[in-house]
Amino acid sequence: MYRYDEFDHAFVTSRVEQFRDQVTRRLAGELAEDAFKPLRLMNGVYLQLHAYMLRVAIPYGTLNARQLRMLADIARKYDRGYGHFTTRQNIQYNWPKLSDTPDILAELATVEMHALQTSGNCIRNVTADHFAGAAADEVADPRPYAEILRQWSSVHPEFSYLPRKFKIAVTGAERDRAAIQVHDIGLHLKKNDQGELGFAVYVGGGQGRTPLIAKKIRDFLPEEDLLSYVTAIVRVYNLFGRRDNKYKARIKILVHETGVEEITRQVEEEFSHLQGTELKLPDADIQAIAAYFAPPALPDRPEGWAQLAGWKKEDEAFGRWVSQNVQPHKHPDYGMVTISLKPIGGIPGDASDVQMDVIADLAEEYGFDEIRISHEQNVILPHVALADLEPLYRALIAQNLATANAGLITDIIACPGLDYCALANARSIPVAQEISTRFGSPERQAEIGELKIKISGCINACGHHHVGHIGLLGVEKKGAELYQITLGGSGDEHTSIGEIIGRGFEPNKVTDAIETIVDTYLNLRLSKEEIFLEAYRRVGPQPFKDALYGDAKAEAA
Amino acid sequence: MTRVWRETGFVENDPWVIETEELKAGENDKVLLPLDQLIERAENSNDVGLGVLIKPADDIRKLEPYLYRLEIVAVEFPAFNDGRAFSHASLLRDRLAYKNELRAVGDVLIDQIPLMLRCGVDSFAVKNATALKRLEEGRLPGIAVHYQPTARQADKAGGYSWRRRSA
Repeated sequence: MYRYDEFDHAFVTSRVEQFRDQVTRRLAGELAEDAFKPLRLMNGVYLQLHAYMLRVAIPYGTLNARQLRMLADIARKYDRGYGHFTTRQNIQYNWPKLSDTPDILAELATVEMHALQTSGNCIRNVTADHFAGAAADEVADPRPYAEILRQWSSVHPEFSYLPRKFKIAVTGAERDRAAIQVHDIGLHLKKNDQGELGFAVYVGGGQGRTPLIAKKIRDFLPEEDLLSYVTAIVRVYNLFGRRDNKYKARIKILVHETGVEEITRQVEEEFSHLQGTELKLPDADIQAIAAYFAPPALPDRPEGWAQLAGWKKEDEAFGRWVSQNVQPHKHPDYGMVTISLKPIGGIPGDASDVQMDVIADLAEEYGFDEIRISHEQNVILPHVALADLEPLYRALIAQNLATANAGLITDIIACPGLDYCALANARSIPVAQEISTRFGSPERQAEIGELKIKISGCINACGHHHVGHIGLLGVEKKGAELYQITLGGSGDEHTSIGEIIGRGFEPNKVTDAIETIVDTYLNLRLSKEEIFLEAYRRVGPQPFKDALYGDAKAEAA
Repeated sequence: MTRVWRETGFVENDPWVIETEELKAGENDKVLLPLDQLIERAENSNDVGLGVLIKPADDIRKLEPYLYRLEIVAVEFPAFNDGRAFSHASLLRDRLAYKNELRAVGDVLIDQIPLMLRCGVDSFAVKNATALKRLEEGRLPGIAVHYQPTARQADKAGGYSWRRRSA
């Protein structure tokens, strides 16, 4: 993984001192809250319902054990013993004191971490495929480019006061695990016919109150032009993005209102001036950054195949965990392990300090000191020998971290919702907990198969409900919480926005509604292989509408 | 009270004014003309030493034919969160190769001045009390290491093509 050099250390240290000065001025009353707000936001400090919240960047979701131990330490020392991993591969602390935040940032800097640009109207943490560098289907590791973009976008003087936040995601495989088509810029790293690396460039995707799928404006951008082209896009956005209405200020609205052809023309025109300037990436620099991401030397461990077969035979629960939470690795003797942060009935994405410490230990023991955070709010150990899966599993069980539900109905994405968030209209966490409990039995989950439920507590869609196979949106109606259900969304290489199925459900009815939808699917699927999303795309919403709102239920209307 | 600051210090007797309903230019003042008026004046005279005020929605590229006649360009930051003038300044320096004075006007705050400097702004019309105090004390909150080349020249540093260090 990337390691800071002297330059990075100098930058982050000065930045911490700059922020310390700003906090001092704020606490002394020299700086008004409205002027302090963009400054604190650019350092990851939010003001929430009950307290300040600090969001720490985990660039493209990559961590080592030392860093995760620091995150555990901060949870213990400055918070209430836990942290919440987010859909942007970051971690949030819900209870820090404002006066402590400079010290927290200084501690993070000692392990090469920061909270820069995790908020504010600037270029946010760049996200990437959580299986990058390990997945069997990958063309190339997207993280070197994400790191170059992270550096280039850090305190970018021209792009620190954009119309609205700006999110970039990069993937290096045909199978899109980074949801690039719902980002402001989505980059798909691929090879052309000559075997050269470059990017398909998508612009103007996003969720929120106006979900839009990104448009492809370049099929192949040579890698050396990455910064020139991204600069062109962000400059066009900075100049022409709407500033009259914060709900229409994202680049997706600019692309939508201007039209993709005209936007492409403007970007290409700007790019024609920027191509070949100082922003051109020399191959040597790309290679130097890429070298940091070289995969660990993975010794052959062929004994794992037979061992694994034996362990699975002996222990059905272990077998379930392997088939659900272990994915194929580039090296046939290894697997990529998903450590679920979705225990049945638990809070999606939360991890205690002890759990973080244990994961850090296990990553060192079995995982070559590499850890990833997924946008689905789980932790990944990307390189684990099949021969080590059983002892790893035993250690995870002891910490309630071995839930075998990756990709299943209880692997729910949920935003913090009304329990924490100042923007929320409804709670998300209790709904997730109830659904998880209802469908918690391993047999039932296995029978249902792949099904992604995503829950947002307000229209801002932090819980990605638009791209949930089943999405839940909490709204407030006449002072009460109500949950609107969308079906058929997806955040992969075939991205689609879910369709609203009908009127919403009260908190005590929403889990029943989910069960009705699931039962309807089970009855109409062609086979067990046809997952919920495929079945929905085949039959459309009507059977689900009938089941939810048909004659028998009309009286409730 | 607005004072004009440059890296060499505060400027006394600055002649440039933005005219409003209440404020008209005096005998020794010079006017920062709105873009359309600047173009009209330039087209209908041989005047040089002109000044122009660029509003956020203006197209900076329209200045291209008149650059040699401009003594000053002022770019307006109507509020701290409107960052369009950062792009105007960058384009003016990088694309149009404008060399004369480039002034930030409007909501010019201490924490934004280092960013403005890096985009090529070299003079600042400052009203904010904290900003004035800090500038008087010579305390700019900038960082010396940067991850991107910008309009203001800085030395290459830190090993990679995109990195720079301020003197």
